[in-house]
Amino acid sequence: MRVLVTGATGFVGSAVVRALLTRTEHALICQVRTGSNLSRLQPVLEGPQAGRADVVAANLLSRADSAKLVVDADVIIHCAAGMDGGATNIYMNTVVATRNLLDAMGNGRCRRLVLVSSFAVYGTAELPRGALVNEDTPIESHPERRDGYVLAKLHQEEIVREYAARFGFDLVVARPGVVYGPGGYDPLSARIGLNLPGLFLSMGGNNLLPLSYVDNCADALVVAATAPQAAGLTLNLHDDDLRTCREYLRRYRGEVRPLRTLVVPYPLLLLLSAANECYHRWSRGQLPAALTVYRTRSLYVGRRYDNGRLKSLGWRQSVSTQDGLQRTFEFFRQPD
Amino acid sequence: MKLRVGIVGCGKFADVHVQQVHALDNAALVAVCDLEPLMARQMAVRYSVPAVYSDFGRMLAEQRLDVVHITTPPSSNTALASSAMEAGCHVFIEKPLAPDLKAAQAIVAAAEHHTRKLCINYWYNYDPPGEALRRLVEEGVLGDPVHVESVFGYDLSGVFGSALLGDNEHWVHHLPGKLFHNVLDHVVNKIALFMPDADPLVSAFDHRHRPPSGDAITDAVMDELRFLMQGERVSGYGLISSHARPAGQTLRVYGTRNTIQVDFQKRTVVVETAQTVPTALGRLLSAFSHARAYRRCAYGNLRQFLWAEFHAFEGMRRLLRAFYDCIHHDTAPPIAYSEMLRVSGLMDALIGALVQTRLAREGRR
Repeated sequence: MRVLVTGATGFVGSAVVRALLTRTEHALICQVRTGSNLSRLQPVLEGPQAGRADVVAANLLSRADSAKLVVDADVIIHCAAGMDGGATNIYMNTVVATRNLLDAMGNGRCRRLVLVSSFAVYGTAELPRGALVNEDTPIESHPERRDGYVLAKLHQEEIVREYAARFGFDLVVARPGVVYGPGGYDPLSARIGLNLPGLFLSMGGNNLLPLSYVDNCADALVVAATAPQAAGLTLNLHDDDLRTCREYLRRYRGEVRPLRTLVVPYPLLLLLSAANECYHRWSRGQLPAALTVYRTRSLYVGRRYDNGRLKSLGWRQSVSTQDGLQRTFEFFRQPD
Repeated sequence: MKLRVGIVGCGKFADVHVQQVHALDNAALVAVCDLEPLMARQMAVRYSVPAVYSDFGRMLAEQRLDVVHITTPPSSNTALASSAMEAGCHVFIEKPLAPDLKAAQAIVAAAEHHTRKLCINYWYNYDPPGEALRRLVEEGVLGDPVHVESVFGYDLSGVFGSALLGDNEHWVHHLPGKLFHNVLDHVVNKIALFMPDADPLVSAFDHRHRPPSGDAITDAVMDELRFLMQGERVSGYGLISSHARPAGQTLRVYGTRNTIQVDFQKRTVVVETAQTVPTALGRLLSAFSHARAYRRCAYGNLRQFLWAEFHAFEGMRRLLRAFYDCIHHDTAPPIAYSEMLRVSGLMDALIGALVQTRLAREGRR
């Protein structure tokens, strides 16, 4: 079986390649974008199993490249997505690229697609404090009130479901929570707070963080790609042992760098969000509407999480949260 | 009555157009169009635009638009602008106007034939520093222009640069001047304000400062450009740099009375005058007089901020307002067509000179 991993140079993509090489016997096709930074993938491909992996430079915005890429793939783990560069860029590299991949699948032999979506697609603004967020939680119905990333992920899910119905391949939609690890994204996720120059606004308080250590996340994606009973499922990917934002931030300050922090209680946060929104509207966009009441209600109200469906497929957290945090903070630690 | 506005081309820069249209009271964005339906859809969702199209002709036929904004790659501008004007729309077009002068002339000819108004997004000249410069020149502070230096920093690690270098099919690869072609208007049109010549002597040099990637198409994108234009009485020097930091946009105009230094990013405009007090005392006072000038800029900027006139694309908002006003009042467009064509012609000459330099360099090798 040949597994295509798109976005193989990315944080999650390179971890998926490593997990596939160590946990399976499958041959791999690693899609990388022309000119992309290979520093995450290179060390993964230096191991003894690396002979099973082909690295292919292909741009998913090109239909011709996409067609060449999928022709020999039996399973696709689709990690590639736009992460930055503004809403239009994120959308193009997420939704248009996925559509090209899906179109190409019509002529290929692929029988399963694992889409790496996001926790961000849940419509949590209307959920009460303490509500359980699982795969049955409704998705966001007002993406225009969130941000470009949420919109892109929602539309990406929508089109993969449409194509799965049309072409008849197995679809697994994986929604990772806050993926963290050495070499990863900013360890201070927006769910924890806002990093201003010289000051960190701690906004997550005692809310649980749906943490997913990158190797655990990659293991889960391998399960999603290989477990027969995963077909057709949507899976929330996060670890068992979750921490609160406050706990995470305390460890970050102790182990990475001291951070001047201002705790913003939720009622004050709502007030600030309303003020930011009003100013943005009055000034016609002079300062961005970084905080809005809707986004604040979506992100900064405490919820509970459940990964029971993922565990029912046989996934187990292999790196403990304690170890995961230690490795991550060690990586990001700044010299005194 | 509000103008009914439609946008064709829902790529990166279209966002900026949408935001400026939304900020103006005399226009409403009613339709968006892109050959890629997904891109048109995302724009409509994000900005609550009621109508979405992937067929430009259909948008024109169904929407009775007053103004069409064209934010597509320049190779399609002529056809789109002509169709829009034929359908009775005025056109606001993103730079560059067209890939070459001939195509630019066709757009202007269509505007004149259909008696529709046309404007190109030379927004820097309408930014507060650009307007301050114009006022100083009108007041005679500069005297007669002697030489102009126009600098444009372009960070290739930004959104657009990354997209271009990571995509061998990106439309910029097909422009004769590649990366430079897409930003050259902003450098040349500032020089053209002070240099009336249509056909100056031009020499140009470029090189790639970043290391080779091994990919021929990517490596063909040069990232440093220098050019010199010698007119009858005024000369102009242009610099586009992807590596010099900070990547700013500045203009320095040397006049027979004073020199004016404009920083479009920091939004400062400073007049450099001759030393009036002799000896070491005069040299001592010069820096204080500069400090005073910058303090005035700081207060001016603060005032604009408090009045919410300090947006990143304030100049574009002002230019667009002037363009919409000229439609409402049936007056002349803010930028003369002759100026658009002159800049287009200068760009052709510059890219021609660049090709000659490259050929000469290849020959020497």
